Amino acid sequence: MNTNGHVVQATNLSKTYSTGGREVEALRGIDLTIAPGEFTVLLGPSGAGKTTALNVVGGLDRPTGGELTVAGEVIAGNGHRAREGQLDALRRKHIGFVFAQFHLLPTLTAVENVLVPMIWEDASDRGRAEGLLRRVGLDHRLTHRPDELSGGEMQRVALARALVNRPALLLADEPTANLDTHTRDEIFELLRELSDEGLAILFATHDHELAERGDTVLRLSDGVIADD
Amino acid sequence: MTLTRLAFKTLLQRPARTLLTIVSVAASVAVLFSLLSFNGGYQAGLKKQMQQMGVHLMVVPIGCPYEAASLVLEGGEIATYLSDDIVEKIAEMEGVAIAAPSLMHAIVRPEDGRTDIYLGIDGEHLALKNWWRLNDGRKPGAALLNNPNSLLMGWDAALIERREEIGEKMWVPEIETEFAVTGILEPTGTQDDGFFYVPLNTAQKLFDLDGQITAVQVRLTDPALAAEVADELEVAFPGAEIIRMEELLGSMTALMDSARALIFAIVAVVIAISGVGVLNTMLMSVFERTREIGVLRATGAGRLHVFGLVWTESLVLTGIGGAVGLGLAAVAARGVESIIKRFVPMAPVEAMTQFDPRAALICVLAILGVGLVAGIYPSLRAANIRTIEALRSE
Repeated sequence: MNTNGHVVQATNLSKTYSTGGREVEALRGIDLTIAPGEFTVLLGPSGAGKTTALNVVGGLDRPTGGELTVAGEVIAGNGHRAREGQLDALRRKHIGFVFAQFHLLPTLTAVENVLVPMIWEDASDRGRAEGLLRRVGLDHRLTHRPDELSGGEMQRVALARALVNRPALLLADEPTANLDTHTRDEIFELLRELSDEGLAILFATHDHELAERGDTVLRLSDGVIADD
Repeated sequence: MTLTRLAFKTLLQRPARTLLTIVSVAASVAVLFSLLSFNGGYQAGLKKQMQQMGVHLMVVPIGCPYEAASLVLEGGEIATYLSDDIVEKIAEMEGVAIAAPSLMHAIVRPEDGRTDIYLGIDGEHLALKNWWRLNDGRKPGAALLNNPNSLLMGWDAALIERREEIGEKMWVPEIETEFAVTGILEPTGTQDDGFFYVPLNTAQKLFDLDGQITAVQVRLTDPALAAEVADELEVAFPGAEIIRMEELLGSMTALMDSARALIFAIVAVVIAISGVGVLNTMLMSVFERTREIGVLRATGAGRLHVFGLVWTESLVLTGIGGAVGLGLAAVAARGVESIIKRFVPMAPVEAMTQFDPRAALICVLAILGVGLVAGIYPSLRAANIRTIEALRSE
């Protein structure tokens, strides 16, 4: 598949689950391209398929149909199916995840949490981790544990963790859902800055106001991207 | 940040549970290490004590030979006796260097909470114990027992009686006799230190045992003759039991080996139980951290990474438990030894437990082996958690 320099190129991507004896079509032939530095917002209500789309693009789940290439790695297409090890390596090297619930490890300090993805690369660059935490405005919270941080601070740590291995793509699954409006805007602006610096971002949200601030807005409903 | 550090920090998520598991591992390692150390120390101590005695054969009245030997060595009253006319005959046998008769009698002093052991001996006994020295540095000679009221005191006996001067009188009300201290022995580190030595004839008279003795301790010109001379003694004195000290040592060791096998079986069960404890702790931890494991996978961890993390946690848990257990065993060694000595036959006087690096290594390897085995199933469970489901879990 020719990606034309896109970080993500998905064509006719579908995902069908089998649950409770019935088939659920979570994604129904979506097309998606994200260029470096592009801030793409996936907008839709709960159950629309946003998280499924992020999981498939991030290699956490496999598509049941269509073609998908991420950071030059063919995940699916033309009968090819990436091995699990390939998907792990893809996430490790090229993708960062941010979740609504932050998902920090409670017994680790902020710096240690940021360093976790480096463990899988047999690397440890504390200087980079501290630099990233300063970048997200947490230079005074380096050695604090998650229970000593506010929601916004925890999300900033999670963001630094997602960036530590220098990914090409950031997948953000409703990262502002549990934050107050002010903090939500701060986090969003931070993401915008990162995007401006060349990071491709796929941002899932049900917040229309936020969505309007993205470069590209894809409205997802019942697993289908609606035409604008 | 390394995998080991992450494993260590993860264990701190449930400190109480981690601590309890470490305590159970530490307890089993402490018991295993104490037993291994004690066993080696006991055998070495017993052998040394036997060798120090300079006795190759012991002639005692018929009965349980090991009980008799134990009583002769440790002090105690044997209810049956031998006739002292056998001593000369034994001394004349080929291969016998020294035949030293002795008559042992106990005086119980309940008001003082002690039992004094009086040993009637002659000059041959002093020749047999040629390493004995008086507290003034001299070698004790037969002249110390010339007077019927002579009293040669072991170091501990003198200490208990608070006797320091030669010529001091000591009244023994139970036998209405006054002795004169002729010498005090330097400490030997054996049971000899606790005895009161009096002339054999005096002991026979005082305890109404004229012509009778408790045992004859025999030193041979060549220890290799022990079996041969023992056979000859058995033929010559059918009413006596002949004990070869070498056999006694072997029998004691065999007895200890049997007890040890039983104890080790119990320890194996204890270790297995602590292994199940580790497995349970790790499995619960994996179940509780399902979502966390999903997050780790999302950050790029592969199945092998997750397997390695949980396995390392299991090893860290048992490793810390093992280290704590070894420390505990080392600190509590003396206390444990004093308890064990109460139940072990012929326990050597000197320390039986000492830090044995080989035993420590065995314990460390054993417990790490437990950690490795106990960690396999939880690690597999963790590695096989489906990332998507893990991220959805509460």
